[in-house]
Amino acid sequence: MTTGFKLTRKGITASLEPGERDLLRGLFADVAGMLEPETPSHEDPLAALVGLDSSAEVPGDPALLRLLPDGVQGDDDDALEFRRLTERSLREGKIGALRAASMALESSPLHLDAEQARHFARALNDVRLVLGARLGLATDEDAEALHSITEPADAGDVDEYLALVYNFATWLQETLMKALLETLPGD
Amino acid sequence: MSVATLPGTGTETDSRTEELTFSDVPWVVIVWNDPVNLMSYVSYVFQSYFGYSEAKANKLMLQVHHDGKSVVATGSREEAERHTLALHSYGLWATFQKADQP
Repeated sequence: MTTGFKLTRKGITASLEPGERDLLRGLFADVAGMLEPETPSHEDPLAALVGLDSSAEVPGDPALLRLLPDGVQGDDDDALEFRRLTERSLREGKIGALRAASMALESSPLHLDAEQARHFARALNDVRLVLGARLGLATDEDAEALHSITEPADAGDVDEYLALVYNFATWLQETLMKALLETLPGD
Repeated sequence: MSVATLPGTGTETDSRTEELTFSDVPWVVIVWNDPVNLMSYVSYVFQSYFGYSEAKANKLMLQVHHDGKSVVATGSREEAERHTLALHSYGLWATFQKADQP
């Protein structure tokens, strides 16, 4: 029986079917794979130490670009400079969150402490960004058009399957955010 | 910005004024709307990363949602760069620029 995330005395918990865990584990691994730096750290250890990547370029893959967006609008030189100073750290931070989320999947039911919950939220968000890019979601209306695809029977082709997975991840992240928001100090 | 002459701090005030004249035009951090990020997630990031109140976080989030973008922080260039990178690490699309840039 799948339940979304709930805030309980034991932390933020959810019950997922084994198939859902496998799916998430696969998605986290795929996105982490996309994020591995092209120049391995050992080729320039000093640069890697401070998070530099002097060979970084704007990603050609729209999904990767969405994960590693430009930090400056309207000035490609400034944007590239910012990218070269920060992209390696950004990639590594995201990979860390995806790996932490994968490890959290090992417990059944899932129990997340505050830090794990934040990693899991970031990981789910990055997965959804990639799926959204693959589905060509450009507007809020595009995302809404997929709403009805919620059962495996609804998914007749690859895009519909991606939409099904996207909707599952969206639902799961929504329940996680509701629980996380409850943990914040009240106003 | 007005310059008050504080008793006993004449020199300090003057040098602060000079610093303000030369120092950065403030920089701003802009968050852009995208169809994937959940409103709950954006609000959570604004509350937990920036420490904004729920009311302020929701107001900014709704501005991003309705206007397509919103200024979410201001500061020095170094601060703006740091916030931009942090927001990227959360999966938000943020850019930084001088406050007086259109």
